[in-house]
Formats: sequence, structure tokens, C-alpha cells
Amino acid sequence: MSELLEQVTTIIRDVFGDDEVTVTETSSAEDVDGWDSLMHLNLVIALEKRFGIRFSTAEISLMKEEGQNLGTILNLIRAKKGISA
Amino acid sequence: MLFGAAALFAVLSALTWRRVFLVVCSALFVWVQNPEWLDVFTLLGFVLSGYFAARILVWRPSTTFLALYIIALTTAFVVLKRYDFLVLVGGESLLAHAIDLVGLSFIFFRQIHYVVDVRQGEIKELPLWGYLAYQLNPFTLLAGPIQRYQRFHEDWQALKSTFPDAHALRLALLRILLGVIKVSFIGEALWQIATGAALVPDGTPDWAQRLLLFYCFPAYVYFNFVGYCDIVIAGAALFGIRVPENFDRPYLARNMIDFWTRWHRTLSFWIRDYIFTPLYMFIARRQPAWAANSVFLCYFVALFLAGVWHGATWNFVIFGLLNGVGVAAAKLWENAIVARSGRKGLKVYLESKPIRWIAGIATIHFVCLTQIFLRPGSEDNFVSVWNALSRGLGL
Repeated sequence: MSELLEQVTTIIRDVFGDDEVTVTETSSAEDVDGWDSLMHLNLVIALEKRFGIRFSTAEISLMKEEGQNLGTILNLIRAKKGISA
Repeated sequence: MLFGAAALFAVLSALTWRRVFLVVCSALFVWVQNPEWLDVFTLLGFVLSGYFAARILVWRPSTTFLALYIIALTTAFVVLKRYDFLVLVGGESLLAHAIDLVGLSFIFFRQIHYVVDVRQGEIKELPLWGYLAYQLNPFTLLAGPIQRYQRFHEDWQALKSTFPDAHALRLALLRILLGVIKVSFIGEALWQIATGAALVPDGTPDWAQRLLLFYCFPAYVYFNFVGYCDIVIAGAALFGIRVPENFDRPYLARNMIDFWTRWHRTLSFWIRDYIFTPLYMFIARRQPAWAANSVFLCYFVALFLAGVWHGATWNFVIFGLLNGVGVAAAKLWENAIVARSGRKGLKVYLESKPIRWIAGIATIHFVCLTQIFLRPGSEDNFVSVWNALSRGLGL
């Protein structure tokens, strides 16, 4: 598991209040109990705070599109922080 | 006319000619819908303000300028649409202009999306003709779907239909035909039934006629709107433009939140992205302790504005209020289940078939109730009811 994925997993567990949550880069909202639109925004806020970044409206919307998954979010963070995959 | 234009479009080999053709078709369509020169110039001014605002935002990025522009644009929109509440703030004079614009409501939303996304760096290329073609696209001008500029810009680079084979083309043509059937036959029949029930010659409709009107009007709205979307989505595909889907079996929704992810989806997603999300995140970023409770206010405000956007008269305020209350109530109900039974309990609740049926029936009836206020003439009913209520309360 990459360091970024580890950090994001910790944040997800904190936001969802569930230490048992396990995710991979291909995980999507359907794989995590309670990951609805509102929890998605709470996760976005937590990620912004942790990484010192800001997601645009289009990026937040993209994350929720059909076919997108946690990998989409990780790639956006990598692009903003200049981290290689 | 659509098939003739599509056939002519298909033989144009150069992209420049296809773009010119689309822009000319758009201009003709706008002129047919808004034949008075005052209307055309006003519409062009409204649309071009978005382009110049975007240019300024690229030259001098400023959230303050963006906010001021959106306030000015919204003010212009409210005055041009002649919202009834303007009487309270400025008297009849603000409603007295002669301008009547078709397509303004959807142009307004597309314009806000455009300038916000330019400010956030999500739209970098600003071709003028591409912007005009996007805003005045005949396939989305009248009643949406609300297409995002980035998707249209991709299509603008080729403007070539992307049917993989003849079968796909035939399916698109069939969809247009089905759309015409939905609008002109099914929808029209439901409209005749609904208006026949409402306009009884010998006085007030009886309970059976009211019931018929209660169910037939929403059915008419559905077939009319879905049929229109079938025509424009398939028609746009003939010109290489991908217009997003707008409906997903809305009358199967289990609650009002679910309903608005199925009905007029492009409007819902616009409301989610440009009203609900910014409002919620503004509160949650600054006051995390308020976030959990602020969500109901955010839901209510977002759906209330969506309702009011539908029309300028007071009945649409009621429509907005009911939808706001319905969505906020759905969220409250979900929270109550989680508080009582946890997330696992919510999962059991959501998977229960009997509950699914009851929730679906309740939701469809609530939707029918809200759509009473979409009916033509309901603004007069609202005024009559308000006057009667005021007299009764001694106001």
C-alpha cells in the first residue's frame, strides 16, 4: 500500500468513524457503508485540511461520477501535491 | 427540418464549415424563439457578459469580482423574468419592461457554471464562437438538459457524430421517433384528460375529476419532458454533440432526495455542485461543529431555489418550499434511523421490500402534490387561497 493510500485510509476511517474500513485504489462509494453525498463532502473537507489543498467544483463533481473511484481522488491529490504515482 | 439539417451537416467535410453550420442553425433558432430585435439584443448582451466576465477572471483572477458578477447576473435574471416578489421591493415598474426571452433560465445556469469553472481554473480555453455555440445550442436552449461546458468544448473540437455503426444510428433515429410519440401523443392525451378534468363546464370539479387531475398532470409533465429529452439528446448526437441524460425512472424514487437524483438530473447536479456543495462546505470548513445540523438548511435552500427558478409567480415559491421541506425531511428521517439503529439498521431498512414499496408510493404522491403548483393557473389559485386566508385571519 502506498504511503498516500495509507494516509487517505486513515482519514476515511476517521471521517466515517469506523476503524475497520479497508480501501484500495479501486474502491468506490458502493464499497464503504455510509459513503453518501454528504459523507463524500466531509471526506473532501478532511482531505483538503490534511493535505493543504483545495478541490474545485468540477473536481468534487468528477469524484462522484459513475466509473470513478478512490484512485480518482488519489490522482487529484498527487497532481496538486506534485507526488508521482 | 432536424433530419434535413443533419443530412446537410453530415456532408460537410471541414470542421470549420460544420462549426459555421451549427452557429447559423443556433442563430436562426434563437431568432425564431425570440423574434423581436430588443429580445435578441438583450439575450446576446446577457450571454456575452458571461464571456467578458470570464476573460476578466483569466486576466485578473478575483473571487470578489466573480461574486459581484454572479449577483449582477442574478439581478438581471430576476428582472428579465419578472419575478412577482419584485413588486415588494421596487413596485410594478420593475415588471413593466417589454422583454420576453426564451431560454433564459437555462442560459443563466450554464453561465454561472462557466464563470465559476473559469475562476477555478477548470476551463482554460475561451474561444468566443465555442462559447456562443455552447450557450445558444438549439438542442439545450429551450429546456435543457444543462450541459457542462467542458464536455461541449470536447465535442466542438470535432463536431462529428460518433455512431459506431448503422445500428447505433438507427437507435438514435428510433429514439427521436419515440420522443415525438411521448410528446405529441401520450403527453398530449394526458394533457387533454388533465385539462378536461380541470375545466368542467358546470362548476367545481368533483372528487373523481380532482383525482384524475392529481395523477394525470404529473404524468403529462413526465412524458412531455422525457419525450423532449429523447428528441434533443438523439438529435444532438447526429451533430456530434453529447447531451447528458436527464431522467432515470423518477417515479420509482423512494424519497425526495432520491427523486431529485432521477428527475431533471442535470438540474439536480447543477444545484448540488453550485449551491448545495459551496454552501455546505462554506459552513463546514469554518464551523465543523455546525456541519451536521447545517445540512438540513443547505438541502432546504438548494431545493427551494431550484423550485423558485422554475417560474416567476408565487405558486413556484410554494413548489420550492415543498421540495425543500421534502428533501430536508428525507435527510432527517435517515438520520433518525441511524440514530436509533446505526448504519447496519439503515442498511436493513433500505433493503426491506415492503418499506421500499411504501416509501415509493408515499414519494410519488408527495411529488404529485408539489406539482399542483406547476399547473397553469395555479398562481391564480394561490392568490385566491392567500386572499381567503388573509381575510379569515383578519389581515
